[in-house]
Amino acid sequence: MSIIVNDIKKGFGGTEILKGISFEFEKGKTNLIIGQSGSGKSVLTKCIVGLYEVDEGEVIYGGENFSGMSKSERKHIRTQIGMLFQGSALFDSYSVEENVMFPLTMFSDMSKEEMLDRVNFCLKRVELENTNHLYPSEISGGMQKRVAIARAIALNPQYLFCDEPNSGLDPKTSIVIDNLIYDLTKEYDITTVVITHDMNSVMEIGENIMYIHEGENWWTGDKHSIVTTDNEEIGSFVYASAFMKQLRGKLN
Amino acid sequence: MNLFQHIGRFTLMISLAFRKPEKWKVLRQNIIIEINTIGISSLSIVALLSLFMGAVMVIQTASNIDSVLIPAYTVGFATRQSIILEFSSTMICLILAGKVGSNIASEIGTMKLTEQIDALEVMGVNSINHLVLPKILASLFIFPFIVLISMGLGLIGGGLIGTQAGIITLEKYIMGLQYYFEPFSITYSLIKTLFFAFFIATIPSYFGYYVNPSGGALEVGRSGTKSVVASSMIILLINLIITYFLLL
Repeated sequence: MSIIVNDIKKGFGGTEILKGISFEFEKGKTNLIIGQSGSGKSVLTKCIVGLYEVDEGEVIYGGENFSGMSKSERKHIRTQIGMLFQGSALFDSYSVEENVMFPLTMFSDMSKEEMLDRVNFCLKRVELENTNHLYPSEISGGMQKRVAIARAIALNPQYLFCDEPNSGLDPKTSIVIDNLIYDLTKEYDITTVVITHDMNSVMEIGENIMYIHEGENWWTGDKHSIVTTDNEEIGSFVYASAFMKQLRGKLN
Repeated sequence: MNLFQHIGRFTLMISLAFRKPEKWKVLRQNIIIEINTIGISSLSIVALLSLFMGAVMVIQTASNIDSVLIPAYTVGFATRQSIILEFSSTMICLILAGKVGSNIASEIGTMKLTEQIDALEVMGVNSINHLVLPKILASLFIFPFIVLISMGLGLIGGGLIGTQAGIITLEKYIMGLQYYFEPFSITYSLIKTLFFAFFIATIPSYFGYYVNPSGGALEVGRSGTKSVVASSMIILLINLIITYFLLL
């Protein structure tokens, strides 16, 4: 099921951050929201997942108007959402196993053994077997991201949100995380939304891309069209460094 | 924000905390964890303080009695009254407001800062109910026991120093402890404790939960300080109000 945002507006203290964004995040694809820092990517994501209420417009999950629902009405959609936060947002006082088990404990009627099986399955899927009893402080940043992904997929979500999944990671680990997100999207046929300003990620997994500039949907396309577009704003984002600009000149 | 806005937001937080929990089993487990974090881990400092304060009270009372007309057992009587009516409830709760309060504010504030609270909300968990309610219930349960332990240890500390330093005989001290004893004084002290416990759990939770995440670690530190100041002031105010209505 896709996610559709219709003419979303959001402001804080008289400053309009999102100025009427519309877009369809397609099912079974890795949908990317890209843009410069301060362009409104994170605010848009928080509006979509309901952490912020939109001022105007609507967010539609699989035909249901999420933004028009009350908190209790949203619950059944929320349990279908998995989210990977920028800093992983793992619970410090819980072990890896307890972190992944948390959504199952809260929202499923599984027995302890069934939950443990599911946790082990999810951890195996992100290639983190035998880390059950470690704590977030005892594992690396990349491993924390993978635990957060395991937690996000524990309840078999229909929608997966990843807020800057590669921030703080080296390029090699970033690719591992990107590929994991891409594979999970295809494997479970879910709607994945990735917020990033990492061009490596865009080139690796960008199937349906929205470029936000100053709170507006500036450009849409995929990883192939983004490198060939003649839009100057996109060009300066994709080819930001002097070296890349030179390369672009040679390509042209 | 002005005071009334804080009171309004605090009231809203409390109403959200007392919603039906997602899973009763999870709530029970969290209460047990909080009883340990808030209560059991505070026992050593409470014990130490109570023993020493009881001892100091006996010495001070004895040193201020220089008339032969005042019987020796007055030392035990005055120590008992001070410990039961004021020290073990108000003073111990003020100390716990510092120790437990800053702990709660920084714990919840850090969770806010590192998006752990957002993670709970996105999953569909009522984060206030999940984080704050166990702290409230655990405090309401464990604080009266802490205060009772403090009373006992305070009186023992007084007795030990009194007899060992030759200030008073054990018989006279015990006679003083029993002299005109009204069991209601313990009830009064425990009633106060329940109110203190509620605010020691909720005020730091409030300052931690509504910390400004863009302020970083500095803001979390500030929220801890604010919570200790606010809960100490509330404890003193409630102490005055309850004492006025129950003892006058």
